[in-house]
Amino acid sequence: MSDKPLNRGPHDIGGEAAGPIDTTDHGMKFWERQANALRSTLGANGITCVDELRRAAEDLGDEYRGLQYFEITTRALRTVLLEKSIFSEEELKAKMAEIRARFNVPDEMESPIKAKAR
Amino acid sequence: MSNPNFDYYARAKQEHGHDHNHDHDDHAPVNEHDNGPPSDYEIMSRAMQELLEEKGLITAEQVRRRMELFDEEFPYRGSRVIARAWTDPAFKARLLADGRAACAEMDIVLESERLIAVENTPDVHNVIVCTLCSCYPRALLGMPPTWYKSRNYRSRVVFEPRTVLHEFGTVLPDHVTVRVHDSNADMRYVVIPMRPEGTEGWSEEQLAEILTRDALVGVTVPRIGR
Repeated sequence: MSDKPLNRGPHDIGGEAAGPIDTTDHGMKFWERQANALRSTLGANGITCVDELRRAAEDLGDEYRGLQYFEITTRALRTVLLEKSIFSEEELKAKMAEIRARFNVPDEMESPIKAKAR
Repeated sequence: MSNPNFDYYARAKQEHGHDHNHDHDDHAPVNEHDNGPPSDYEIMSRAMQELLEEKGLITAEQVRRRMELFDEEFPYRGSRVIARAWTDPAFKARLLADGRAACAEMDIVLESERLIAVENTPDVHNVIVCTLCSCYPRALLGMPPTWYKSRNYRSRVVFEPRTVLHEFGTVLPDHVTVRVHDSNADMRYVVIPMRPEGTEGWSEEQLAEILTRDALVGVTVPRIGR
């Protein structure tokens, strides 16, 4: 059952042997809710469609296995928006640096985020 | 079904002194809090939203509203639809014939092309999965629970459904046929469970209370006085 034909993508796991199921719903973290709402809004606004995003996720190949669900969807969204030239890689990089800097509050403020990061 | 260790909701009730009259608790998950510094993915997602806002393609209000719909509205629709199917045979027939059109009667617009309702009977039990990703009737049930998206559920439920159902505390008689339905991007499923004995005369609102998300996915069956 675990012998995968070559044409099966990393997402195509139906029928594979696997371990017991954690039947508790752990809900979603805030950023996951934001990521989900962003994806859903883009669909509703006609900017992306589910098939494009699915293809970009499946193209992750070996990386797919090591990523969590919303990490996969976020990566897929990035791929599709770059492909559509909605923003460039440089723009995204710069915006990410800007956001990262926002979390860098001065030390004297005793940021719990920074304390945890250390 | 008789093993409380497998029943998330039973456990949650014991732990939190759950009040049955409290709105919605059996339908929406409790979200986990974010811990620690933001991950690269969180920053990436936030950055993409801000760039899209700056370019005028979306607004923060649209994203906020979507989040609200997923949290406050979508999780409570499926139970209302199935409660109506339980009380109105003509509606149930329409739901089985064309799920999308029947939901539209209740002002519910679904995100996928097709919704297929599958009915449990004394001889057939249905359970839904998306082996390829996480296709799920979100506009009816909200976001899929963690386990629905998990590798273990997606891999196993298609070839050993009885064992998987047992992990959810659901044990079916041997003569019952188990049908597993694999969803995709254009086609979603919802289960119409069997209406339990002892619910005669109940209102749609009362019935909706026992129609939990897990019962509509088919990993559990509705029970009175859970």
